[in-house]
Amino acid sequence: MAIVYEFVWQVLHVLLHIHRTLITWFRIRLRNWNGRLWSRALTALIVPMALSFPNQKNIVPAPGKRVDRRYRWGADGKSLEKLPDHIGLLIAEEEPRYTDIANLVVWCMAVGISYVSVYDNYGVFRRDNSRLMDEILKQQQELLDLEGSKQLCVEFLNNGTDKQDQQVLSCQSVLKVLSPDDGKLRIVQAAQQLCRAVEQRDKTSKDINVTVLDSLLRESKSTPDPDLVLKFGPVESTLGFLPWHIRLTEFISLPSHVGVSYEDLFSALQRYASCEQRLGK
Amino acid sequence: MSWIREGELNLIEKLSANILKAGPMPKHVAFIMDGNRRYARKRQVERQEGHTQGFDKLAETLRWCLNLSIHEVTVYAFSIENFKRSKDEVDGLMELAKQKFIRLLEEQDNLEKHGVCIRVLGDLTLLPLDLQQHIARAVVATRTHNKCFLNVCFAYTSRHEIANAVGEMAWGVEQGLIKSSDVSEALLSRCLYSSNSPNPDLLIRTSGEVRLSDFLLWQTSHSCLVFQSVLWPEYSFWNLCDAILQYQLNHRPLQKARDQHREGQALQQHEADRACLADLLQHHGNGKPLDAQRRREALLNYTASREERVQDFLGALQALVRSGTDVGRLGLS
Repeated sequence: MAIVYEFVWQVLHVLLHIHRTLITWFRIRLRNWNGRLWSRALTALIVPMALSFPNQKNIVPAPGKRVDRRYRWGADGKSLEKLPDHIGLLIAEEEPRYTDIANLVVWCMAVGISYVSVYDNYGVFRRDNSRLMDEILKQQQELLDLEGSKQLCVEFLNNGTDKQDQQVLSCQSVLKVLSPDDGKLRIVQAAQQLCRAVEQRDKTSKDINVTVLDSLLRESKSTPDPDLVLKFGPVESTLGFLPWHIRLTEFISLPSHVGVSYEDLFSALQRYASCEQRLGK
Repeated sequence: MSWIREGELNLIEKLSANILKAGPMPKHVAFIMDGNRRYARKRQVERQEGHTQGFDKLAETLRWCLNLSIHEVTVYAFSIENFKRSKDEVDGLMELAKQKFIRLLEEQDNLEKHGVCIRVLGDLTLLPLDLQQHIARAVVATRTHNKCFLNVCFAYTSRHEIANAVGEMAWGVEQGLIKSSDVSEALLSRCLYSSNSPNPDLLIRTSGEVRLSDFLLWQTSHSCLVFQSVLWPEYSFWNLCDAILQYQLNHRPLQKARDQHREGQALQQHEADRACLADLLQHHGNGKPLDAQRRREALLNYTASREERVQDFLGALQALVRSGTDVGRLGLS
């Protein structure tokens, strides 16, 4: 009898796997098909610039259109009931595509989100951060027609100092590149710091509470906890993303970051805008 | 039994359970039982009725978990943040909890028969004294049972739990039982309220909210998270099966991520031990550098002594906590 159950289980999981693969395939085909339909409609008709239409990657935008997109994305951000102050992009996929991630970062900035964090489970972005930065600067220019680093400041999560606060104030958006070491390991390091203070009789064990620990784990006084984490990939887990900071974070899953569009991001932001946080009450 | 509903699965449910059990099953499931008040509004009954139905649904879900051979369940019953609610609602919840714990103690024989061990996790000093005493009695009465485990998070938030664990390690340092360099991820885990349980394999939140609300943030970093839109009092066996299916689909990648994290942890500990040893030799050594063999031996000795220190500390901590539970809560002296 056990063999029968096991057989049925195997069949069930094969079917689920096929189901998942088909959905992914259809999603990509539908987008391409939609795209072709739209681009044909646009070339056939004269559509006023005021109408918003899906952003096409295969059409090289003229400089004028980039500026229009920048304003449109900014307006989209303002039209939402609430926008996260800090968004986390959790890439739970094996092979990150830097261009797509850079697009996401640039769109988040354009929409008006002040803090953007990028995280992957292997710490690849942290190790290879220059490649990510180059890609982001390139996409910034490509999509927003912005040069230089005026709009974007990069901050690697490390012990915050007042100096960093000053740098942050001059930027419109702050990017943080995170890895699993910024999660539990960081909490352990804070715990060691507090225990050393106790060893040196600067503190007692009774002085340790949530507020004290939180101030140590807050990288700079102005950085808020992530309000929203967009998780890309099929794995349903936080995979070690900042355990201390995600107590009230909303998690929205997207199937993949590969080929992700602005519309995918914006519909996730709309979902976030409609959620209600009761904060225990 | 009031906490675990009696009964068996029907034929179709039994068949589905057997099929699911052919694959990897979670050993420890955590529930955020959200949606009682929305359910009450939907059914146009009192809020308190929503909470009561929520408790009944918990009893039913525990029965299903046992049928599915899931032997450890952790539930988020009351958060420290929930004290912000109206006095009536908080008092109502405290009264409900008191009734349920009193009932539990009356069913001691059944608890023994099913081998149910009840643990309550949280800052219990925030609760009314009589409730603390009932909880203490229930915990002490079921302490030795080991067939299935129910962890109820009451007056709990994850941040408080982590801060408390750090405070306990600091106490250990104060008492000279451990050094600050002995503080590690593994030690912190063993100082949490949930130290007697493995990390949850699966976390389920009902009512459609997609956040963790300060629940088991440390323990669920590599757990499968399933958010379901059904309201808790309407939870069904099929919702549970759906969640378990999600767990099975995520099992392999999560296992891989967990193993990778564990390897990283072991490496970090090894590096930390080496650094401590180097420090020690510098300050207390006779200045002569050690050869590779001696260094290896010294490292092994250091690791062994660190582990011994940690064990002694954990023993002392457990004795302290246990005496706190028995003596403090039961009003014994």
